[in-house]
Amino acid sequence: MIAARRLAASEITSPLGRTSPLIKLAVAIAWLVGLAFVVDPRPPLVLAGVVVAAGLTLGRVAPRRLLAALAPLWLAAAGIAVFGAVFGAANADPSAAVAVHLGPVRITDPALAGALALGARVIAIGAIGAVFGLTTDPTHLVDSLVQQGRLPERFAYGALAAYGAIPRFAADLLTLRQARRIRGLRGGWHPRLLVGLLVLAIRHADRMALAMDARGFGIGPRSRFRVVRWGWIDAAVAVGAAVVLIAALATAR
Amino acid sequence: MPREFAGTFAGRLEVGGLDVARSARGDVAARVGLVFQDPESQLVMDRVDDDVAFGLENRGWPVASMVPAVSTALTEVRLAGLEQRRPNTLSGGEQQRLALAGVLTADPGLLVLDEPTANLDPAGAAALFARLSAIRGARAATMVIVEHRVDLAWPLADRLLVLGRDGRPIDEGPRDEVVARSGPRLIEAGVWLPAEVEAGIRAANGLAGPHVPAPRRGVAAAARDLSCAAAVSFEWERGRRAVDGVDLAVGAGERVALLGRNGSGKSTLGRLLVGLLRPTAGSVTLAGHDPSRVPPADLARLAGYAFQDPEHQFLRARVRDEVELGLRPDERARVPELMDRLGLPLEGFAARSPYTLSGGEQRRLSLATILVRAPRLLVLDEPTFGQDRANHEALVAILRDRVDAGAALVAATHDLGFAAALLDRSVVLSDGCVVADEPTEGLVRVPERLAAYGLGPLS
Repeated sequence: MIAARRLAASEITSPLGRTSPLIKLAVAIAWLVGLAFVVDPRPPLVLAGVVVAAGLTLGRVAPRRLLAALAPLWLAAAGIAVFGAVFGAANADPSAAVAVHLGPVRITDPALAGALALGARVIAIGAIGAVFGLTTDPTHLVDSLVQQGRLPERFAYGALAAYGAIPRFAADLLTLRQARRIRGLRGGWHPRLLVGLLVLAIRHADRMALAMDARGFGIGPRSRFRVVRWGWIDAAVAVGAAVVLIAALATAR
Repeated sequence: MPREFAGTFAGRLEVGGLDVARSARGDVAARVGLVFQDPESQLVMDRVDDDVAFGLENRGWPVASMVPAVSTALTEVRLAGLEQRRPNTLSGGEQQRLALAGVLTADPGLLVLDEPTANLDPAGAAALFARLSAIRGARAATMVIVEHRVDLAWPLADRLLVLGRDGRPIDEGPRDEVVARSGPRLIEAGVWLPAEVEAGIRAANGLAGPHVPAPRRGVAAAARDLSCAAAVSFEWERGRRAVDGVDLAVGAGERVALLGRNGSGKSTLGRLLVGLLRPTAGSVTLAGHDPSRVPPADLARLAGYAFQDPEHQFLRARVRDEVELGLRPDERARVPELMDRLGLPLEGFAARSPYTLSGGEQRRLSLATILVRAPRLLVLDEPTFGQDRANHEALVAILRDRVDAGAALVAATHDLGFAAALLDRSVVLSDGCVVADEPTEGLVRVPERLAAYGLGPLS
């Protein structure tokens, strides 16, 4: 009934789609850590611009899809910036320079700078997350985490199975709410819904674990049907991302 | 896998000379292929070919031998070409064949299938059994098939083991010998048998035929005013119509079967009729009101809806609390008699957890929670699922009483025997549209029409 978002074939076979998800994850973390060292809004905006351009070209993500993923995050960023500028603590400081007067509201330079920095960072985080999500096939991610990142298999494949069950949980929740209504109970959100959902999730997990055990999961060393290998593209993405990060940080004043 | 379950295990269980209770799990898994009832909770991976390979990866097969084994297994279950698909986008029948492929790759000596067609429509069930029949011819594997409704499994079976309600074996042996030796006892114990087998037993033993009450006259078209759907459509996602421009009017005392393949929109239409979903186009009325806007307390007495999976509608931890939830004192007085008739007497069941009941008992409990309020419109999704014959007959009798008392009954079902016995009007859905609306009697007599609607033969 409710399908999880699926990647288009062009996104999976694109250069970014073929890049090791582990590398993409490392790049995302390195960029976010790098941004933590600067307050200036320019570096995050440069990174956001680069990642969007990379998603459209190297990732072959359709502009509409990217926009649909980015719009809510960027609206939130704008909201955070406005909120920070209007209610920033620095506005109360009588010695701070005033940037603008909006009627009774006095917006100071430090409050404005802080708000822009925060908003820009949210924009960058949203862009990085959206492009990662739209160019990374879940199975590829788990294969990469297990084979290249040495993540324990039981955890990784359990997480993949749980990811596959998300649409099922959404359907279960809808059914539970409807079951309450048809029995004459008030609708809306009731704490008992969570109990019911938990019961269904545990029973589903139980059956899933039984099925996995019946097929010999965990009896010994596993082999791999889908082998993930390092390629030149991974090195290129890693080097390129490092250059972009240094260049972006250099724009800070 | 006795150790995987709570409870006590006694006796000895061997597979190919291996004592199951004392062996490593991997040794058992290598000999036995298991296919479970629920397709969704046995598919592990996010792609069809990965899922087939899962069991081989666990055994450490090299890639070079996995690739041809996966392709052979997918061809054997007729899923070749779907390698890249996500399992949760397949139909229930395809999912069960995928689960079968996943256990076939390892070439198990024993194949155990636990009610593999329980969640499938007749066409999906027939396709699964066609593959099982081919595998039975091509492979040396032993098959154990657990089934309530035996029509499809019957031709495949060399031997029968029949369990009574108390879990004790009634008889065991070559199929035709068991029928000749214990036929009347099987009928008496409420075991489902193919119609011609049962007729043979009755003839050979001088038993009367089953009691079938005469069908009642249908409701005149003018009186179809209790539940009305006018040009109703519903989209779960934009552009994907689960129900597409349906007109349907049902009157008090009417008995309607909603027929059609899995995914044809039966459950969605049922939920629209009782106001659990609001149509994206068109309108639904129930006794003159929009059911999606009726306050829940009033809705519960106007309409009842039984979900396809009974586990999804349980809201309390004990059977008694579950069935008495939200009842008025006068309704509460009806509980003991209803539970007796449904084979769930409170003396034995009141304190049990709904989740520990068998599938068939859960189904009857979920129906009890609806029937106890005597709503004017009953919409039931697969009400006969998992019922042995005696409970099936009891259920038909209870529903017949309700309809005679003036309730309208709409049942989404794959059980054509149930439809023919009780539901005199059939509405067939295909891709969310009504493609037939006519007396059930005429429809079930024409196998070609049933096949065209994906509705297997009447058994």
